[in-house]
Amino acid sequence: MKIIVGVKFDSAKFLLNEKQFIIVANHNSHLDTMAIMASLPSKIIHKVKPVAAADYFGKTKLKAKLSNYLINTLLIQRKRDKEHPENDPIDQMIAALDSGFSLIIFPEGTRGEPEVQQSLKPGIGYVLTKRPQLKYVPAYMKGMGKAMPKDDNLIIPFNSSLTYGLPTQIISSNIIDVLKQIEGDLNTLKEV
Amino acid sequence: MYKTIKMEKIFRFDSIRNNDLLIVAFLIFGLLCLASLGFFIAGKLNPDAKLDELKARTKSWWVMSLIFIGATLINSTISYIAMGMLSFVAFRELYSVLGFRESDRRAIFWAFIAIPIQYYLAYIGWYGAFIIFIPIVMFLFLPLRLVLKGDTSGIIKSMATLQWILMLTVFGISHMAYLLSLHEIKGFSSGGRGLLLFLVFMTEINDVMQFTWGKLLGRNKIIPKVSPNKTWEGFIGGLISTTVIGYFLRFLTPLSVPQVVFVSFMIGLSGFVGDIVMSSIKRDIGVKDMGTSIPGHGGILDRIDSLAYTAPVFFHLVYYIAY
Repeated sequence: MKIIVGVKFDSAKFLLNEKQFIIVANHNSHLDTMAIMASLPSKIIHKVKPVAAADYFGKTKLKAKLSNYLINTLLIQRKRDKEHPENDPIDQMIAALDSGFSLIIFPEGTRGEPEVQQSLKPGIGYVLTKRPQLKYVPAYMKGMGKAMPKDDNLIIPFNSSLTYGLPTQIISSNIIDVLKQIEGDLNTLKEV
Repeated sequence: MYKTIKMEKIFRFDSIRNNDLLIVAFLIFGLLCLASLGFFIAGKLNPDAKLDELKARTKSWWVMSLIFIGATLINSTISYIAMGMLSFVAFRELYSVLGFRESDRRAIFWAFIAIPIQYYLAYIGWYGAFIIFIPIVMFLFLPLRLVLKGDTSGIIKSMATLQWILMLTVFGISHMAYLLSLHEIKGFSSGGRGLLLFLVFMTEINDVMQFTWGKLLGRNKIIPKVSPNKTWEGFIGGLISTTVIGYFLRFLTPLSVPQVVFVSFMIGLSGFVGDIVMSSIKRDIGVKDMGTSIPGHGGILDRIDSLAYTAPVFFHLVYYIAY
């Protein structure tokens, strides 16, 4: 990852001090998840689940098996499902958190245009307001969309970077405020 | 018997028996020790002096020379791979900042593929193919790949920039690798590794000398619009020191005294040109350094910018004179 694609990692050692966390990152490429996973200390990597869309990664059984086996994904639906709580994405994420896992969430929901940030989906807000003692860690990635953009499966090395912010607790229980707080954090990292 | 020959081929420890190369290796480490010690003492005597950048630079020099000397002296197959990696990182660094279009990706991919091919040609020592592969084959092929994509707006810039990056970071640097593939000359024991060591040491010492003379005496700027740190004093001082050092290191080359003086002078000159060319690009994009991979130096490109110029110049001069 580091040598071929040319991703410059921030050290993620500080995560060892956190018992449980949610990494909140911008999303431009399939490489995003790989980059975050590669930057994590190997001690905690098995306790971290990237959250992924079930309709994409769970399209076939093989795809679901592979992504579960390789990177330990938590597949969720894109839409909420009040009638079947076991299928509801928010409940699924909360359940995973309660059983001790940390999560990686891309609240933009989809990869979108390279290097363009989209507005955040509220799901992360629901999760954080339901477990307000949990800390979230903002992470910002640059250049990933250039190395492997949407609709293109060819990886081309590109000097890119992954920056972590500090673990933070949410300051408000209002979902809109939480989303604003996270968006603000991501934008600060973008400037660095 | 066969086994020992094979081992000899893989690990060419004969360099340890080759005094000429060892002398230079020790010289490099001696210089580094002197620099580290000097900055340490200067730092103790005058704690206010701004030595952090110089110290970081010296530290990086240690790492770079260890890697370089290790890769060159111990095993020449590793040297080809190491230099290929150098080209690869430099290419990636440069194209990442130059802003290519989304539709250029396929062509860029092929440009990446060209790197191992070019170094393989150097490895097998096929001079004809080595010398035309990027300037002709890639020059004709990459525009084709861009045209097939069909996105014509801005295509001239893509064609030109891509080819130029390849020439600078791959074609230029790969001449270093080809030095190792030159056939042996009777009565000249250091061979290609001697030439390579000479080239790299001279180029880097030229950078250091121009920097030092510029810091000590620099008054009159050469091209303030491109690089405010380049002065006539630094340039001329560096050129003279490099030529003198080249004279003393002539045992690494098969050249006669006037030839080695001329070649050293050309290394100093082309190193300077490479430096200011890269500075002008950085000016254009609006960055100070190309990257952050080497502490105190910036990116890989900030270090090998002059090599991209000196390597082909040195190679073709030596090739013309001695081979």
